[in-house]
Amino acid sequence: MPLARLFKKLFSDPASARKRAFLRSLDLFRDLGFVELGHLVQNMHSRTYHEGEVLFVESDIGRALFILETGRIELSRAGADGKPQKLYTIQPGEFFGEMALLEQLPRTATATAAEKSQVFLLYRSKLESILHYRPRIGVQIMTHLAQLLSSRLRRATAAGGPPAA
Amino acid sequence: MSERERQPGSLLPVLLAAGTALYGAYTIRQALLPFVLSFAVAYVLTPLVDAFEAKGLRRFHIVLAFYLVGAAGLYLLAQTLVPLAVSEVSQVQTDAPVFFSKVQHLAAELQSRAARHFPSLRLPIGQFAERAYASALEQLQHIPAYLLGLFPLLSLFFLVPFITFFLLLDGPALISSSIQAAPSRYVEQSLHLLNEVDAALGHYLRGILIIAMAITAASYVGLLALGLDAALVIAVLSGVSSFVPYLGAVVGALVGGIAAFIQFGTFAAGLKVVALFVGIRLADEALLQPFIARYSVHLHPLVFLFSMMVGGEVFGFLGLVFAVPVACIVKALLGVAWEWYVSEARLRGHETRSCLSVPYT
Repeated sequence: MPLARLFKKLFSDPASARKRAFLRSLDLFRDLGFVELGHLVQNMHSRTYHEGEVLFVESDIGRALFILETGRIELSRAGADGKPQKLYTIQPGEFFGEMALLEQLPRTATATAAEKSQVFLLYRSKLESILHYRPRIGVQIMTHLAQLLSSRLRRATAAGGPPAA
Repeated sequence: MSERERQPGSLLPVLLAAGTALYGAYTIRQALLPFVLSFAVAYVLTPLVDAFEAKGLRRFHIVLAFYLVGAAGLYLLAQTLVPLAVSEVSQVQTDAPVFFSKVQHLAAELQSRAARHFPSLRLPIGQFAERAYASALEQLQHIPAYLLGLFPLLSLFFLVPFITFFLLLDGPALISSSIQAAPSRYVEQSLHLLNEVDAALGHYLRGILIIAMAITAASYVGLLALGLDAALVIAVLSGVSSFVPYLGAVVGALVGGIAAFIQFGTFAAGLKVVALFVGIRLADEALLQPFIARYSVHLHPLVFLFSMMVGGEVFGFLGLVFAVPVACIVKALLGVAWEWYVSEARLRGHETRSCLSVPYT
């Protein structure tokens, strides 16, 4: 309807719509509704990292989940000789640092922007606040994190880790 | 130990910076006043704006709509409540001479009774009554001057909505800018700090507003039921005073009790009003406080008292209003500093889960 389109053009926020569309494209938030995504956008922070900027350093205490919107982030770990060894390059749409949402443990790798990158941050206490006030969103995120952990554990077990019963 | 032990940095520079900032705030406190008030108003209104923004609307349109609706609401309120308040105040002014004559009569009666039982007290009581009466009459004459003295405060009625408009509109952008300005590696810590302060301040300010509104409404209904003429003025006075914790009920009981005594001429009427405010205070403690305290920062009564005394001493009435939120912020900051210290120095163990030895199934 032309009237609805005009209303949308006049009153809807294009920046928020872009963020919602991006977050909805992620597995982590795929089941969230329009308004729920709006609440999620309000609880996340966006930051631009320039090439070479360090997001966090190995052994820093983690307190946030990072979601890469644009750019590339390189994960590396100090080798036995102390030199950084490249582990993985995060691509747009992937998230990392998610264990910080469950436990405040030291980061196991260093994250550095390989090029100018736009990153969403979901801080631990914001997730706690979401869980408290908007449990449906919080449960979706926690369920997905639990599934992710389970998949990793299953893969580690299959690769010769602890025996599965 | 498999993990590297790290020593947290010195807190001295942070404390020095905080001290300098506090001293700076004290020296420019007059200029800060409209900003502090606007900040508090914006804090209370932000969740409402956020709720509409989550539905996909532009923030500018939401804030503008809020202002238009607010202006219309204020206009309607002014049309109905201001004439009522003015008539109530005029009634109090009309009744004041009657009240003073009653007080004089009461004092004379007390004086004669005291003179019968304690002849030596006759003179001091008489002098005290004369002085009190003269002082009250003098204060009554100064009322127009007091009202004129409030005119500079009127500028706040224009400044506060103006500043609040921009805070509501650009609040999230300001936070984003500060996160962008933070050193990249310390963004997580900056967010931690912002979130804790936000939670402590937001919960307190919203809680105290709910209490103030509830006390105003309950007092108005209760005073109307008791048949008090100045019900609205006393209810509003009590509600505004309740921005200083525990003061609302005290002011309501005191002013309402005197007003009831003036109007009905009996102590029993005054006592009924006092009982009403005691009831409101107890209801607040039993019904509202548990709900509000669930989300607020808990302060020890001594910390509470100390912050109120310091706030009142340094910044006057506004210091009393904002002493507790500032104490909440300080407590949140100390909590963050302690949490950093504990996590950075690895003081807290993490392997506390049971069933770790059970195989993956």
